[in-house]
Parts: sequence; structure tokens; C-alpha cells
Amino acid sequence: MAAAAAAEATFAQTGPSDPQIDEFSYDDQIVRMFLWATLIWGIVGFLAGVIIAFQLAVPQLNFLPEVAFGRLRPLHTNAAIFAFAGNAIFCAVYYSTQRLCKTRMFSDTLSRLHFWGWQLIIVSAALTLPFGITQGKEYAELEWPIDLAIAVVWAGFFGVNFIGTLINRRERHLYVAIWFYIASLVTVAILHIFNNIWIPVGIVDVIKTGELSSFDNSLKSYSVYAGVQDAFMQWWYGHNAVAFFLTTPFLGLMYYFLPKAADRPVFSYKLSIVHFWSLVFIYIWAGPHHLHYTALPEWASSLGMVFSLMLWMPSWGGMINGLLTLRGAWNKVAQDPILKFFVVGVTFYGMSTFEGPMLSIKTVNSLSHYTDWTIAHVHAGTLGWNGFMTFGMVYWLAPRLFQSGRLFSEKLASLHFWIGTIGILLYVISIYTAGITQGLMWRAFDDSGALAFPKFIETVTRLMPFYWIRAIGGTMYLVASVIGVYNVFMTWRMRPPTYDVPVIRAAKLSKFYDDGPAPASRLNANVGLGHAGDRFMQAHWHRRWERLPIRFTVYVTVAVAIASLFEIIPTFLIRSNVPTIASVQPYTPLELAGRDIYIAEGCYNCHSQMVRPIFAETQRYGEYSKPGEFVYDHPFQWGSRRIGPDLHREGGLQSSFWHYAHFENPQEYQAGSVMPAYKHLINQDLNFQEIEARVHSMAMLGVPYGDAVNNSVEMAREQAAQVAQEIRDQATNYALVDDLENKKVVALIAYLQRLGTDISKPAPEDDPGVAGEGSEGGDS
Amino acid sequence: MAHEPKLLEHEYDGIREFDNPTPGWWHALFFGIVGFSVFYLMISTGSPLYDTPIMSHDKDKLAWIKSLFGELGELEPTEATIVRYYADPADEYAGQWMPYAESLFKANCVSCHGANGEGSVGPNLTDDAFINVASVTDIYDIIQNGANAGAMPAWGNRFHPNDVVLLSSYVANMRGQNLPGLPPDGEVPAPWPTLDEIGGAAPEEFTEDEENAGAG
Repeated sequence: MAAAAAAEATFAQTGPSDPQIDEFSYDDQIVRMFLWATLIWGIVGFLAGVIIAFQLAVPQLNFLPEVAFGRLRPLHTNAAIFAFAGNAIFCAVYYSTQRLCKTRMFSDTLSRLHFWGWQLIIVSAALTLPFGITQGKEYAELEWPIDLAIAVVWAGFFGVNFIGTLINRRERHLYVAIWFYIASLVTVAILHIFNNIWIPVGIVDVIKTGELSSFDNSLKSYSVYAGVQDAFMQWWYGHNAVAFFLTTPFLGLMYYFLPKAADRPVFSYKLSIVHFWSLVFIYIWAGPHHLHYTALPEWASSLGMVFSLMLWMPSWGGMINGLLTLRGAWNKVAQDPILKFFVVGVTFYGMSTFEGPMLSIKTVNSLSHYTDWTIAHVHAGTLGWNGFMTFGMVYWLAPRLFQSGRLFSEKLASLHFWIGTIGILLYVISIYTAGITQGLMWRAFDDSGALAFPKFIETVTRLMPFYWIRAIGGTMYLVASVIGVYNVFMTWRMRPPTYDVPVIRAAKLSKFYDDGPAPASRLNANVGLGHAGDRFMQAHWHRRWERLPIRFTVYVTVAVAIASLFEIIPTFLIRSNVPTIASVQPYTPLELAGRDIYIAEGCYNCHSQMVRPIFAETQRYGEYSKPGEFVYDHPFQWGSRRIGPDLHREGGLQSSFWHYAHFENPQEYQAGSVMPAYKHLINQDLNFQEIEARVHSMAMLGVPYGDAVNNSVEMAREQAAQVAQEIRDQATNYALVDDLENKKVVALIAYLQRLGTDISKPAPEDDPGVAGEGSEGGDS
Repeated sequence: MAHEPKLLEHEYDGIREFDNPTPGWWHALFFGIVGFSVFYLMISTGSPLYDTPIMSHDKDKLAWIKSLFGELGELEPTEATIVRYYADPADEYAGQWMPYAESLFKANCVSCHGANGEGSVGPNLTDDAFINVASVTDIYDIIQNGANAGAMPAWGNRFHPNDVVLLSSYVANMRGQNLPGLPPDGEVPAPWPTLDEIGGAAPEEFTEDEENAGAG
């Protein structure tokens, strides 16, 4: 006590001019934990990817409903993004932030809560997605309780811990890596929260009946947004998940680990400033390019396109700063597998961020959208940029974290690099070819003026060789990663009996700081504006921001929020964006139950519900989709890929019996089909009692169900009996299941037969929105 | 001097930064694209220089209908028309329009009637037996309106009216190929009339060109 008092007295006497030296240590244990989590989930995510790649080549691999393509594909994307890349981000942030701020993490408890909370979220994803518990929005599939957990772990544990660390720092200014971490932290939180606003069906049920809901209903939720608005929010989220989960944190990672590994200064501090702010501000606008030619209003589509184009240079700023930092170190690249990973990673970043703007050009997008081109684009980014940046970091960290003195084997690391690189190239080249092939086949006409490939299946079977090459490329990437994990494991085995925990000594930041004089203009001519511009270009003002973490965070938030609101507010407020169509009515209770099955089976992973106003497409599928047709679609199901045909005009296209037989055995009724069989829908009973709470939840969202709210179960049973009878009448010499009217398949067929049909029904009363349809030639 | 970049004073965990300027070509491209974007937004918002996707689609569709059906006019679903379009050897009928009808068949009919009409969920169309068909115009009615409690969907609101006539003609012509598939079902109607019976190869009087009627 006395000593402490004396020390305090000394401090008081000497004052801030004599900064106190602190002794502390870095928490590397948490970094080791995130490192292992990265590697383990990486293997899981890649393995899931390899399985679904083979499922497309061999549909018989869809032998269990829990691991059929539609359910496993979301598991693959969630594992790769949130488990593999997520843990890699945390690994990078926890290692570099402590060192860049010269301080231990703000709270060891929060660090552990963050780690275990995040792993728990991943495990719950793995326990829900295969069982069809999903919101049906891509990359936001996880149901509402997991959504809440993500918000708490991300903002409450990670966010508080990270910002607390910045406040406790002993380094005056924030390095560019930290800027990117701040942008990621803030924006992911905003995106996640606003895209995941839902009504939980189970809670509605409890409030309404006073009794606990069924298991399925308890985990079920409906998006509060519908149709066009839901699509807009989803791709505002989806695109920026790419931006602020797979890009900005990895740029932060690059800015720390690449100069460390190369032992070279960063190419340009000014470029860091310019590309950081332009990237953060521009990225957030670009989401609508995922919805070109859809029912999204044209102005939003145009904004999405031009902001994507403008994004090219800000993205390349990061690539330039990465690659030019290696100036003078290229001889090392030839030797060092770590730098090889970084060089290829940054190069793939450059390629993807050139390709992204190109794909956002409307006419290019009309060819690429719904094809494998998008899948190839994404995998160049994820396997190349995210994967290789992560492995480069892991190899650099392993000997340091495990204090083994060296990596177990440089040769194995090189082997990992080469097998992985060839795997990526096989993957992307085959799938680029597949995507362009399919896109061209869809739009081709023959001399008679008819579609050259009228049978959709022709455009599927043509892709088989590419699907095989892709699966082989993916397998190589997986094998290479297993080699990497083995190498890290062996490095770990070379660790000392106890880890050395070095004591770091650094001075506390004093309360007072002088930014130094603002620079004078370097121009000679006497032009006021020119002088102001030159002073601005010297970025002294930014240097000041860099020592004010809270203010910096607020500025980033403002940049992101302004850009978002410019698009979101008009999308929701301008009524003419979604012209009402009087004949469009809500789904019946049975159709709603069928729609939930459609979502649970993950049909949207292979089938779109959006006929674009492109002539080849309306020739194939029928009238193009109108915004007013989706006003009761909570959530929207427009999809993003056509592994199978579009289904928006599916209603009435096939007989109900055909659907039944096709679900039971797709290959029998469509030779060469890659669709999984859905026998379990024929065998499983539909839980009719669950429908009531679902209809009620929809009514709460403003869907005009009227009296149907109170007798929804009765209505559903009645319609199920009708559909079952229809199927019986249509079936000849076919063994149908007993008590067909109780089965799930009936609900799904009822939904499919309803799809896209309202528009051709008579409107209840005169309505210009409908009367105008199909009268293109009226003015000619 | 210009080749030796200045190193900034600050240092973070050993990482230094050069004071290099941002590259000139980077600025040029960035501001060039920003300029283009402003221009594009002005053009694409209500300017006559820009067609929205829906406008382009409608133009394409109109051009297609004109080029494809301009010379046909509106086909009447009569026995004579249906027979003529498959039976007339003159090139502008069978030769030109049956490949088109075949494409329609492949796009829409094969999932139930089999790749070559041999039958699957729906009946075999290549044998001599038909269900509820006494004449070729009954084929037209079934395609147009559907049959058998929806087992055969109605196509009238999906196709251009000429499409239904040409498709009826194509299906009528499948009779008698007897491809191996589903066994015959239904009654055997009288043979379809020959070209001579319907009055030879001469086309009927065309109705006035109504290319847009019922499109969509």
C-alpha cells in the first residue's frame, strides 16, 4: 500500500512530462484458440463444398434429406464464411491489434466469451441448417435465436472488447489495419441487425394461445420485409457481407502480416487513406447489382451498377499497396511460401475486384446472372483471396505462436501452395466455362426463330464435364488444406513445455498531445482554393483523426449509414416502385405451409423465381415477373442461381400428379436431371396444427388474411383433400401413398401450382395495374 | 530523388510506411469512372437515349412476332389449317414451321409426353389411339384448354395463338409413328384428312394482320 502511495506521489510530482512505463504481456492464448478454430472449420467448410460439388455431378449422393444439396449448400457457405473466414479474421485482429496498440486485449473474459460464443453459433448452424431450419435468405439463413446470439457475440463481446482495447492503447495513432477492423466491426453489426428483422412464429403462438409452440414453429420466423423490399435489404446485406466480412478485415490482415512477412515498408500511406475512405463509402451502395433485370426499380439498379464501377479503383488501391510493398522483396517471394500465398491472394483480390464491377454492368449481368459465372467469381475471391491470405497468416503465425523457432516443414507449405493454386485454377476455369456456356445456351435462338435449346435439361447435361473438373479442383484445395493443417499440427508439437510470455514495456499515453503545426501550402501562386487543396492533400487532418478512435468510428458509421439510407429510404417510401396488382392475393394456408417446405428444403439454392424481361427468357418461361406479384412474399425467394429452371411461372405448367411422380423419382421423368429425390415429402405427414400460428404471424405482417386467420387449419385440410383427389384422378397405373391428403408433398404441390398464376386471373374489380398487362403492341 | 521514396516517421510494431503519392493512373481512372457514372445516371433516368430492360424486351418481342408471324397473320384453328401445316410439302408450310413447332414441343411437352412423344406421365402421342379426340381440332382444344382434371394443363394463356395451332399440327403429325413407349390408350379416331380432302395446298384467305392479339 505504502509503495503504491509513494509511486502515486512520485507521479504527481513529476507530472505527465515523465510518462509512466507500464509492464504487460500480450494474450497469445486467445490467438492460438482462434487459429485452431480457423483450421478445423476450414476443413469442415471445404469438405461440405467438395460434397455438394460431387452432388451436382452425381445426384445419387443426395441420399439423405439432411445432406441433400439444398440443405448442405447453405451449410457450406455459412461454414466457409462465418466459421473459416470468421475465425481467421478474429485470429488476425486479436494478434495484430494488441501489438499495433501496444496493449493487451481490453478483457480476457470478453475474449473467451467471444471465442466460445462464436464456436457455439457455428455448432448451432450445423445443428439447424441440415434439418431445414432456415430463414431462406442467402448467407442469412440462420434462424432468429442464432441471429440474436450473433448480435450479442459480435457487438457485445467482440465489439466492446475491441473498442476497449483501442481506448487502452499505448500507441498514439491507429495504423491502417485498425481502420479496416473498425469498418468491419461497425458495418457487419448494422447489416446483420437490419437484414434480420423478423417476427418469430413461436412467440406469436405463445402470445395468441398462451401455450408453448411446436419445436418447428418455435424456431421459425418470417422476415418483416416482403418481395422487392426484402430482396433489396437482403442484397444490401449480402453484397456488403462480402465487403465487410470478406474484404475489409482481410485488407486489415494484409496491412499487418504482409509487410511483416516481407519486412518492407508499406508502399503508400496516402493511398491507404484514399482507398480506405472511398472503399467504405462506395461499397455500401453496390448491392442492387445482384438484382439487375429483376422487379427492382430501375433507378436502384442503375445506382448499384455505377457504384460498383466506381468501386474498382478503391479496391485496387488495396491491391497496389499490397503488391508494391513487395518492391525490393521479390527475391524473397521465390523462396518464402508465406509470401507466395500473399502474392497469389492479393492477385486474386485484384482479379475479383476487376471482375465484380464488370459483372455489375447490366448487359454483362444479363448473361452471367443465374449462371455458374457468379460461382466462379465468388470462388476466385474466397479460395484465392480469403483462403490464401489466411494460410499465409497461419504459416507466419504458427512458429511464433507455438514458439517452435521454425515451421515444421517449408517444403510441405510449398506443396500446399502449389496443390491449392492448381486446385483454384481448375475450379474457376471450369466453372467460368460452365457459366458462360449455360448463359449463351439459354439465350440462343435457331434459324426458325425458336429457342435453340428449348429443353432446360440440355443446358444442364452440357455442364457435366465442368462439374467434374470443378469437383476435382475443389478436392485438391481440400487436400492441400489438410497438408497445411498437418504442418501446423507438427509445428505445434515442436512447442516448448511452457510458452514463454514476454513482458512488454511501453509508456502510457499522456492526456495531452500536440498534433504539431498544420502544414503550410507548398504552392507559390496566390490562389486561395489551391492553397486549401494542397493543405488538404497533405492529410494532416487525417493524422489527427487517427489518434481519436471513437471519433474515427463515428465517422465510419456515418459514411456507411448515409450511403445506405440514400437507397433504403426511397426503396421503402416510393409507392410507384411496387405498383399494386389487384388480382394478386395472399397464399392460402396450405400454400403457405408448402412455401415453408420449399424454403426448408432449400429449393431456392437451385431454382429462381424471377423471370427477367429478356426476350429469350420470356420465351422460355412466360411473362416476366412484376414487382406487385411479390407483395406477400415474406421472405422473397427470387434465388440467385438456376441449376434447375426458373419456377415463377410454374403454376399450371405441369399436372399435380407429374409433380408428385417427379418428386419421387426426378431422373425417371427427366433423364439427366441433377435434382435430388424428395421421397420424404411423400412419406412425412404435414403438421396442420402449425399452420394457424404461421397464418397469424403473416396477418401481423399486414398480409390480408381476414377470416382465414381463424379457420386456417380447416381451410388447409380442405384444400389438401382437393389436391390429393386431383392427383388421384390424374394418376393412372401409379402406386400413390395412402392418406395422401396428410402428406407434406400435397402442400408443396399446392404452392407450386399457385406460383405466378395470380397475374392471369381476373381482378376483383377494374384495375389499371392488370389491365395494362400484355398489351405491348397496343400503341404500334 | 524521385526514385528514392521518403519514409514516414511513424512506426507500428516495426511496420513503416512510405510517403509515396497515389499513382496518377489510379486518379485518372477513378475520377474518369465517377464522371461516367454521373453521365450514365442522367442518361438512364427518363432520357429518350436509354431503353429500360422492359422497353427493350417489348421491342424485341414485337420484332419477333412481326418477323415470325407477319406473313402468317392470325391462324384459324380449323381442320384445314392444322392439316396443311404438316401435310403440305411446300416449303413455306411444313418445312418452315414444323421445326419451330418441334422446338415448342421440346420446351413444353416432353416432361410428360416423353422426349419423342412416346408417353410418360402423359399418353403416347405416336400411336393411333387418342383420348377424347375425334378430329385434329380436338387436339387444338385440348392444348388450348387442358384436359383430364388438369392432368393436361391449359396452354392457351401461355402461347401465342399461332403457337397453339402450329403445335396442334405438329402433334397431329406424330400419329402413326408407333414409337415404343406407353401402350395405346383411348379410341382410334378416323384417319386425319389428306391434303386433297381439305382442298389442296392453297392457303386460306389471311385475316388482317393482328400480330399482337393475345401476346403474352
